[in-house]
Amino acid sequence: MAQCTLKPDLEFARELTEAGGESLKKCFQCATCSVACPLAPANAPYPRKEMVWASWGLRDKLKADVDLWLCHNCGNCSDLCPRGAKPADMMAAARNVIYKDLTAPSIVGKWMSKASGLPILFAIPAVLWLIVWWIRAGYNGGEWFPRAADGRIVFGQVFYGDYTIDPIFMLTFFGACFILFLGVRKLWKLFKPEGTLLVIGKTKCWLWHLVDVLVDEVVTHRKFDDCEDGPVTGKATPNRKYGHAILFWSFAILACVTAIVALGHWGGKIIPMIKIETPMPLTFPVKILANIGALLLLIGLAVLTVRRLRLNPVDHGSSFYDWYLLGIIWLVAVTGILSQCFRLADAIKPAFVVYYLHLVFVWMLFAYLPWSKLGHFVYRTAALVYVRMYGRS
Amino acid sequence: MAGKIGVYFDLQNIGGGLDVEALAAQTREKWGELVPVVKVSPVLAESVDEIKADIAANALDGVLLCGASPRVDGDLYRLPVQVEHVNLREQCVLAYKNPDNSPVNEADGAPELLALMARDYVNMGVVKLQKSEKPDSAAITGVARILVIGGGWTGLTAAAEAAATGYEVVLVEKADKLGGAANNIPVASPLGPLWTYKQPTNLAAKIEEVTGDAKITVHLNARMEKLEGQPGEFTAVIATADGPVSVEVGAVVLASGWVPLDEKYLAPMGLGKSPKVVHAAQFGKMLAAGEVTARRIAFVLDTTLAEEAVRKAAGEAAAAGAEPAPTEAAKPASAAAPAEGEEKPFVKEDLESIRHLAYSNAVNSVGMLRLANIICEKTDDAAQAFILYKDMTVPGILERFYKKMQDRLGIMMTKADVSGIREDGDHMVVSCQNTLLGMDFDLEVDLVVLPTGLVPTTAKDVVVEFAYRQGPDFPDLGLFDGFADSNYICFPYETRRTGVYAAGCVRQPLTMDACEEDARGAVLKAVQCIEAAEHGVSVQPRSGDASYPVFNFVRCTQCKRCTEECPFGALDDDEKGTPKPNPARCRRCGTCFGACPERVISFANYNIDQIGSMIREVRVPKDFKKEGPRILILACENDAYPALDMAGMRRKTWSPYARIIPVRCLGSVNAIWVSDAMSKGFDGVMLLGCKYGDDYQCHFVKGSEICAKRKENIAETLDRLGVQPERVEQLEVAIDEYDTVPDLIDGFVGRIMEMGPNPFKGM
Repeated sequence: MAQCTLKPDLEFARELTEAGGESLKKCFQCATCSVACPLAPANAPYPRKEMVWASWGLRDKLKADVDLWLCHNCGNCSDLCPRGAKPADMMAAARNVIYKDLTAPSIVGKWMSKASGLPILFAIPAVLWLIVWWIRAGYNGGEWFPRAADGRIVFGQVFYGDYTIDPIFMLTFFGACFILFLGVRKLWKLFKPEGTLLVIGKTKCWLWHLVDVLVDEVVTHRKFDDCEDGPVTGKATPNRKYGHAILFWSFAILACVTAIVALGHWGGKIIPMIKIETPMPLTFPVKILANIGALLLLIGLAVLTVRRLRLNPVDHGSSFYDWYLLGIIWLVAVTGILSQCFRLADAIKPAFVVYYLHLVFVWMLFAYLPWSKLGHFVYRTAALVYVRMYGRS
Repeated sequence: MAGKIGVYFDLQNIGGGLDVEALAAQTREKWGELVPVVKVSPVLAESVDEIKADIAANALDGVLLCGASPRVDGDLYRLPVQVEHVNLREQCVLAYKNPDNSPVNEADGAPELLALMARDYVNMGVVKLQKSEKPDSAAITGVARILVIGGGWTGLTAAAEAAATGYEVVLVEKADKLGGAANNIPVASPLGPLWTYKQPTNLAAKIEEVTGDAKITVHLNARMEKLEGQPGEFTAVIATADGPVSVEVGAVVLASGWVPLDEKYLAPMGLGKSPKVVHAAQFGKMLAAGEVTARRIAFVLDTTLAEEAVRKAAGEAAAAGAEPAPTEAAKPASAAAPAEGEEKPFVKEDLESIRHLAYSNAVNSVGMLRLANIICEKTDDAAQAFILYKDMTVPGILERFYKKMQDRLGIMMTKADVSGIREDGDHMVVSCQNTLLGMDFDLEVDLVVLPTGLVPTTAKDVVVEFAYRQGPDFPDLGLFDGFADSNYICFPYETRRTGVYAAGCVRQPLTMDACEEDARGAVLKAVQCIEAAEHGVSVQPRSGDASYPVFNFVRCTQCKRCTEECPFGALDDDEKGTPKPNPARCRRCGTCFGACPERVISFANYNIDQIGSMIREVRVPKDFKKEGPRILILACENDAYPALDMAGMRRKTWSPYARIIPVRCLGSVNAIWVSDAMSKGFDGVMLLGCKYGDDYQCHFVKGSEICAKRKENIAETLDRLGVQPERVEQLEVAIDEYDTVPDLIDGFVGRIMEMGPNPFKGM
């Protein structure tokens, strides 16, 4: 009997427990969860099987499990579990462990996995930006809080775009992209079963599938509707869709603003017509858009935070990963808005200090993205593309 | 013999347009001086004082209450004389329908057929009381001492509980120390609330409690040599190292426990072939001794491999077609032994089989959870315990225990078909298929733990050594594979030997908490039994019945049918075969008098003549076509009669040609009653009783089965006389089948209508 020999890894089970899946031992495999899940297809249901794999510490099985990423974490399964287990939390925990394991260098993942890693995560950009500040202060004749020639507060005086912010952030951004690319490639290989996979019927390039996913699911947040319309649990489901969608759109807006400003800045050096000077006046359309983005960010965050605080801990837990992501976005948003406010209020010291913090937090958000819960935006998208390519959607 | 009967009609409970006054007048006229008081009361329950006054004033010695079913309001009438009820409501008025199914208009008064039926029932009631006597009880001086056989967890609990209740206890243990299997279980599944965590058994404290109690005498290295007599005054002879000890006891608690299933049955799963395969009881012993070093352990609850090996071997034996297996040969011999009497010596049949493994699944499920949890806890989850089950059976509230045990990180469970267990180098490989993990896989483990089959000691040995006419062992129904149990659902602890109550794993494979509960239950039954013997009344199901079989030995032909057929072995006999009744062993079912061809056995308030007279009291019309047939229904009091009551209450009606007489058990139906009915002109006799066979529901275990056998003889006799044997039918009904019982009756009546009149009618 040539069967695979199973090697349960209780260390993995322990990791999952620590990453928010502490109920994984409770499952008695009744499969209520798989029935309750509004997204799980009838011919390949989840999360029942994920629960038993987790309980047995089957690291490889869970890593290679595409279903893990199809879950949108609505929590119907946890609500309906007759045994008080929380499959939704376990699925989230498994994703967290995968962010940690899949992405190199793994030391960052370790720091990211618990609160005790926070000081290091914070210290890296804090020191980085402090050095930048110190060097620039030297350039400015030892003045740590310099004013522009016209007396305005211009953050570029200290954190000069061309030599400091842009190179550092571009490096960070593309570095994160590269790390994510490696992660996605690894994950893709894991998804593919051993041997060759025969696809019958029309096939198209993964890129078109990606477009389909973006248009059909990401933009519309369609699956969130399925989640909320899931089996009636008798409990009011706080609306996650709008919180998440608002947050998503604010990110999109802010990304656009950043791109426009970068284009205006660098492109302006060649084509003076499109040159954009920062700080932009409040009435400038791009600035208006940026402030709308910031406002949406706050609203989305508030909705999601209130929802998470209101979750019944009996059915739904919140792990460090959840709070880290919400927290870091809060900090980015608050420091961003405050630095604008202090700048306009002409409070130079608070303005620079807060702006410095803003840079630290933005760097944290992007640099650690592959190891944080925000990684879902890449890994889940990859999984959604994968299932579309191989005939499930 | 009641000579002065008061007849009372309960007007509010009759209805149906019946002219009750006319009924009363008819009764007065027909029975004359036998019924000095005939009264119609608007609400009878309020006239109890009046009845009592009538009893005193007229020296009544019997009271007949005509109204609701005795099951409904029988307890309202506690009177100093014999009381009999005529069920005019549920089984007469409420069950009445016109033969052509036309609607009944009560405003026009009762239909004639209903009036005839009511009159028949009243007359039957009067004659029943007339032929009945108030029984004098066969009270004995009960010995306030309980014999407990087995000094394991159950036996110790039983002994302590009995002593705490104030009874003396004699405890017989075959080993040289107390505790039995519990000696290997220092930490058990929960023994009480909150039912979640493992619990130390504190066996030493329990033993201390027993040995330190002045009321308890313990015999170690001892076994039963003989138990004779009857409840309340048994004599137990105990074989001890110092020779036999004889002691008087009132009742017995049988807690002799279990022995592990023979290892040969588990050999297909590797037991005995490798030291790395053990069964749960062995593992428990190793664990208690601190000898377990394995870090990866497979607990295999799926025993399909072993079961299939047995099936295959049986198939091969059948294919070989040679001589039947030795167990098969032993069966007819031992079955025939009691039947043919003294000529053949008693041979104890070994009832051990692979089925004991399946019966023990719940105990093994709980036990393996416990053992797996202990090993994980001891090693702080460095150990991996795999539980591979086919059925994870956790009884009742132990679900909470399951949840707690399951929480342990090191415990991994899946439903699996274990398809192979083999040794590979320094470890074992367990192959699993159809698992919950969605794949087939091999597990490499250091140790394989198989379930332990709990084989009751009663399957292997004669434990009690009854000095009874029917043999030294418990009679085996062939249904329970040797477990000492008679009617498990209705009457736990009961065995078919009155006064002997089984508890613990000899009765059913049980967890330790359930063994304790069993011990308490069995002790209560033993106490009840001694009390009942002191009052000279029956234990259940006829609790409190003071009547008992009386033998008219003058006519006895020593045919031994009664002694052989008694389901409880109540009757012994002498060398010649003259029956010797033991009233305290008797459950009052009447199977003995049903068996007696000479009709020498009777109860004071239930006898052959009485029922025969009731049958003869029914007015059977001569004109079959015009006035319809008459059908006699002898209905078992325990299930069929309540089912009929419930049918009536729900207005489910049946043919007005039927006349129902309750009997204690179909086992008490004597063939003469059928002859009585046939010669009286009844067109059919329906015997309505409990289900028998594998899922039997008979309160007296064998009654309906015996009746079915006798019915065949009756049918033969009828055939010889030129009466269609189909005129007598036995039908089975369960207590909850009230919705189908009217159809049973109507179906039978329909068949009789087709057959036409009884050829003896009018002769």
